Amino acid sequence: MGTLDYIWLGILAVFQGPELFTLFGLPVPVTLVMILGGFLTGIAVGATPGLAGPIAMAIALPILISVFGYTPDALLPVMGFLIGIMKGATIGGAVPAILFNTPGTPDAFMTTLDGHPMARRGQAGKALRVAHFSSAAGDTFSDIVLILCAPFLAILVERYLDLPEKTALLILSLSFIAAVIGASPGKGLISMGLGLLAVYVGSGEDFYPRLSLGTSTLSQGFPIATSVLGVLIIGAVFHELAGLWPVAPHRSGATGRDSGDQRLHAADIRRLLPYISRSAVIGTVIGALPGVGSTLAATLGYTVGKARHARRGSSDGLKFGEGVPEGIAATEAANSSVSGANLIPVLSLGIPGNAAAVFLILAADSIGGFNPGPSVFRFTADVVNPELVVAFGLFTAMMIANALNWTIGGLFMRAMGIMTRIPKHMLLPIVLLLTLTAIYVQEADMAMIWFALGFGVLGFGMRLVGMSPLPFVIAFILGDKLENSARQAFAATGGDPWFLFTHPIAALFMAGAAGILIFTAVRRKPAA
Amino acid sequence: MKRMIKTGLAALGVAAMATGAWAQDWTPPGPIKLLIGFRAGGGADTQARLIAEALEQKNGWKFIPEQVTGKGGLNLAAALKDAPNDGTVIGLAVTETFGYNMAASRAGMTPEDYTGLSTTAGFQMGIVTRNETGWTSFDDMIAAARGGQDIRFGVMSPKLADLAYLLGKAQGVAFNIVSVKGGKAVMDGVNAGDLDVGFMAGIQAKGVAAGDLVNLASALSQPLVQTPEAPTMADLGVDFSADGYFVFVGPAGMPDAARDALAKAIAGVVSDESSKAGGLIVKAFGGAAVITGDDLTALMAKDYAEAADLLKAASE
Amino acid sequence: MPGPSRNHLIIGLGALAFAILMLLVWIPLDTDTGLIEKVRRQVTIGDAAAPSLAALFLLAGGALLVTVELRAPHQMRIRRGTVIAAGALFAAAVIGLLLMRYSGPAAVWLTNTITGGGLDYRLLRDTAPWKYTGFLLGGTAMVGAMIMVMERRVSLRALAVALLAVLAMIAIYDLPFDDLLLPPNGDV
Repeated sequence: MGTLDYIWLGILAVFQGPELFTLFGLPVPVTLVMILGGFLTGIAVGATPGLAGPIAMAIALPILISVFGYTPDALLPVMGFLIGIMKGATIGGAVPAILFNTPGTPDAFMTTLDGHPMARRGQAGKALRVAHFSSAAGDTFSDIVLILCAPFLAILVERYLDLPEKTALLILSLSFIAAVIGASPGKGLISMGLGLLAVYVGSGEDFYPRLSLGTSTLSQGFPIATSVLGVLIIGAVFHELAGLWPVAPHRSGATGRDSGDQRLHAADIRRLLPYISRSAVIGTVIGALPGVGSTLAATLGYTVGKARHARRGSSDGLKFGEGVPEGIAATEAANSSVSGANLIPVLSLGIPGNAAAVFLILAADSIGGFNPGPSVFRFTADVVNPELVVAFGLFTAMMIANALNWTIGGLFMRAMGIMTRIPKHMLLPIVLLLTLTAIYVQEADMAMIWFALGFGVLGFGMRLVGMSPLPFVIAFILGDKLENSARQAFAATGGDPWFLFTHPIAALFMAGAAGILIFTAVRRKPAA
Repeated sequence: MKRMIKTGLAALGVAAMATGAWAQDWTPPGPIKLLIGFRAGGGADTQARLIAEALEQKNGWKFIPEQVTGKGGLNLAAALKDAPNDGTVIGLAVTETFGYNMAASRAGMTPEDYTGLSTTAGFQMGIVTRNETGWTSFDDMIAAARGGQDIRFGVMSPKLADLAYLLGKAQGVAFNIVSVKGGKAVMDGVNAGDLDVGFMAGIQAKGVAAGDLVNLASALSQPLVQTPEAPTMADLGVDFSADGYFVFVGPAGMPDAARDALAKAIAGVVSDESSKAGGLIVKAFGGAAVITGDDLTALMAKDYAEAADLLKAASE
Repeated sequence: MPGPSRNHLIIGLGALAFAILMLLVWIPLDTDTGLIEKVRRQVTIGDAAAPSLAALFLLAGGALLVTVELRAPHQMRIRRGTVIAAGALFAAAVIGLLLMRYSGPAAVWLTNTITGGGLDYRLLRDTAPWKYTGFLLGGTAMVGAMIMVMERRVSLRALAVALLAVLAMIAIYDLPFDDLLLPPNGDV
């Protein structure tokens, strides 16, 4: 089984899955339909202010699992749907940003700066096309980088890293994420500490479930769905609603009728390409680092593009912020190229870097049969490694989603302007009930709903004081891995308590962890 | 694949049975909650759900599966202990739960708090290494250990850790015992080189057939079907073994009618190779191993008593 | 509020206090083994180690907040209105959940008192219409109440929207699938 054989198997896995129905005598594989469905759902969700990709992923997951079951066959259809949502949401967010000056997703904020002025000038169609083109280009670029880099990185890790080094790498990742998410590494660490605490309740090697306060409800610990959905989604719903209250009855940002030529010409594309390419690289590099999000990428892309535009001047005398297509291109390419690159740490190391990656891991975890991490990319020669086939199947799914993006993405996106009409204050309570039901359907225990609500309150509180909940979620997911890795490393090295420091690479990682924390903390210190 | 049609047939089935020739047979007073002590989607979970599905079709009973995992089955045992014992709550776990795990924990549960219904299949637990180590027999590994090599022994439960310890002690060597989560993790570790050898409860079958993995010894009281020449625990100087079965249990005090009906039904399904559940068991375990009634009660009690001895032996 | 926000100070001190409480009280009392244990002549990491690491993260975070980041700019201020709104929304959610859990058994109890029958909710939990009672009442109440809180008025429209949404959810989650249980039927 060489590399090419595995790639081919992966592609086949997508196309030869169970058929949903036949069209003109040709069987339509269910995974393709799922990718399409997810993609369209993602665009719709991204285009609705107040909803984001992860929310759709959270609500869809239990339904998908109920339909497809827990067999490894279910992996590609379910994750194909989620990947579709992920990609659709990145282009959907630009729609209300351009048409109504309201970003559909947080990272589309910079798109409002140039997109809305263009819309007001009657060039909404063109602005949407520019956004779509840049987004699709950035997304495809980072997917290619992902497909090339992830296996390579995973193989490097497997070959050179033993158990102590893997433990140290986890600690480094956690510290890095705590340091870079949000404005305050101190708060990041606290968020992370709480997440670790939550995952360690009820687990452990002993027969007595630790930290369970002696109760039976806590003896199984907090299920991953309860805490992740609670903190990430329920917390966001409460925060969003409370911030909106009281509801303003009118709507903002009307746009004029479109006038003039709305199409994208080759000359336009040629002008946009330098901005798109720079932003795509920026977004990919940032996306590959776990925890650093698409909003930062969009901002950086915009800033770099702005500097370049100011230097070179433009034919119509407009600057960034006044309705320049290059402005849209610069930020949309950046924030879209984050999504593909975000999966590099996930697939190669098993470390989720953003909310969408969290849900992919959640899906893989619930279905079983696929454990993202270095063990996936083991190119075994005699026995087929099913996880590797799934990985290549995922890559295929991403490329199919890209193809969909290039073809029908733009069309569907432009039809989504209507989604902004849905009142947020009605939508979000429904999302809350949907999330609680989704949790119940998986766990079948009212106690879990109460816990989810409790985690929601925690998530709300964290957002209120400016603490990002993402370190909490990532720590929750990685906590068990960290403990198991440390235990095994400790046992395997014969009980050496300094195992993190006696191995040179591990010691390097630990130094890096401490370094990044101190560096970011000190750098934020204002000039006294 | 899940059935997508709402089954009102269950209600019809019960009604038909009540008026039919089976009027004397036991029927559950309501839907049966089936506690499953294994991760959703895994082989054991699939086994439980297939058995439930088969019984729903055959007898018209209704099952509501629920995952209760953790602590080697003790979470399930705790949930089952105080449940109603009219046959509306049963659980699937392994015999190790009611033997070693109950003996080792201080939660105050014993096999007498439960009613054994039926076992379904046993594990072909072997001590397995990968081809690249070059060991073809257990003695090869011991020779390497005595020569000063650090041997990393992968185990997935405290009982197996104790057995590994005693195994080493009987040969005069000390293994580095590494606890991992689940049999697949042991196999992954052995394949990756993080572990040198480990217990595997049947997943080594394909690898051994292909020549990538080697059964160095049988962890059971009997030789392994796939590698009959490999020594057993007794041959290697250890008085205990890793014998174990999947077992369905109910709370203590179940009426005999309920207990016998459930046991008979379960045994019937798993022994029938043409059923989905039976076929799965043949594929994964080589065939069903059914122990019910008083034999099962005696087995569980013996397991519990022996576990106490094992704990004592391993703590010396 | 005059002066700079003391957000970082409060959170930092809180985190430090909680971490110390964990390390000195909670973890030692609620875990079976310690940090490092000797089992079977082998030294292994005990169950208390990982939670202690969590406490260390809290400690480090709190320490950073009260030392290096004490005077950082852009510390969030908390608006009173936001907290009150959140409280009202939370109350709506709680009421909805309580209805969800108890209205089914309550309906059965009511029927029994009226008709003198001996129905048991536990045995009915898979039969319509009993199994929908809780979810229907509780879900509609939750969503409806939250919308009303947001609009600051009692409106029939809110309830109608909520009811429609709940019916749609029943259609998606329950009708097509045999094994899924709507709240609260999993645990009675």
